[in-house]
Amino acid sequence: MLDAGICNYVVISYGHSGLWGGGMRQLLFNTRASEAAFGHFGAVGRYALAARRGMHAFSRGPDTWKHIAMGQRKWANLNPAAIMHAKPMSEEDYYGAPLVVEPFRLFDNCQMNDGGRAIIVTSAERAKDLKHRPALIMGMGLDNPCNEIAQAQYTAGPTGAKKAGRAALEMAGIGLADIDACQIYDCFTYTVEVTLQDYGFFGYGEGKDWFKGGTIEPGGRMPVNTSGGQLSEAYFMGLTPISEAVMQLMGRCGPRQLGPKTQTKEPQIILCSDNGGTLQSHACLIFRRG
Amino acid sequence: MSLKDKYAVVGVGYTPQGKVADRTSLSFHLEAVSNAIMDAGLKKEDIDGLIAYRHFPPCPGEPDLTPQLLAQHLGMTPTYISQDAN
Repeated sequence: MLDAGICNYVVISYGHSGLWGGGMRQLLFNTRASEAAFGHFGAVGRYALAARRGMHAFSRGPDTWKHIAMGQRKWANLNPAAIMHAKPMSEEDYYGAPLVVEPFRLFDNCQMNDGGRAIIVTSAERAKDLKHRPALIMGMGLDNPCNEIAQAQYTAGPTGAKKAGRAALEMAGIGLADIDACQIYDCFTYTVEVTLQDYGFFGYGEGKDWFKGGTIEPGGRMPVNTSGGQLSEAYFMGLTPISEAVMQLMGRCGPRQLGPKTQTKEPQIILCSDNGGTLQSHACLIFRRG
Repeated sequence: MSLKDKYAVVGVGYTPQGKVADRTSLSFHLEAVSNAIMDAGLKKEDIDGLIAYRHFPPCPGEPDLTPQLLAQHLGMTPTYISQDAN
């Protein structure tokens, strides 16, 4: 619409009374009879199925996911607005939390929350006259391999991230080595592992080592989900990762700001993901500091 | 023609988040949009495109949140509206 000259300023909005208003619970009733007959309810069950297949194929499961859950919680502890701010998570906390749907424990699941978020998109030219240093959209890619988990040909991946990521990097004219941080759609910890794997940040099955040693945490070499993400900040679909990438590139993130404050690289380029369904639809966006 | 570096995000709107009592989903949309417009340093009259993010089933007692409904409540008449879906 912007490129066609139909619009100059587009707002993209999300709002949901997911917790107090009971919105997220509705997902449990949004189930086909043929799935319900097999005890297959809601988003957790669908992702758990994919994650279990992932564990069969390449993933060490919770031994990898704990690094994601705990690492993102460290970021949330630098973000006063995060729902899980001031709630540190130890390895004992992670393993001690109840299973929701095996293999997912409580902290493998994103937040259920009330709230909203919105962003404004305009041309780079118009952005020059506005208040903040813009976050330029450097590259984007989409891939939508199927509609439903039951129709997925490859539940253990590659997900849409593979093709979408390649397309976004190609448009941006950069490689993964140029990415300073990632904001990944993290409905579940496993989503982060399989998405980063499909983007090519590590080889097939190498997540077990890649996440070790604080890779994604404050002070790490590839910060991921620096607001705490959907796991520990709040769930606003793709606007959780996108808004955080934008705020980081604008330099407006306070104590969690990438750069010297968090012993990380000053961010020039941040990669974001969004996915829909159960890993079936995927968008990759690459932003750079304007 | 490549879209590289042609477009940008210029404002972000936040709302209270967590367990927030006595609020409708619509009210969060309205607050987030208002805050994003102010954050960018724009006026609502400037906004000519409105995309409501793909959404979950409506909350109990709430209407389906279409971008048309949002535009009405925002007092905006955008040229383009749509709802992103999976």
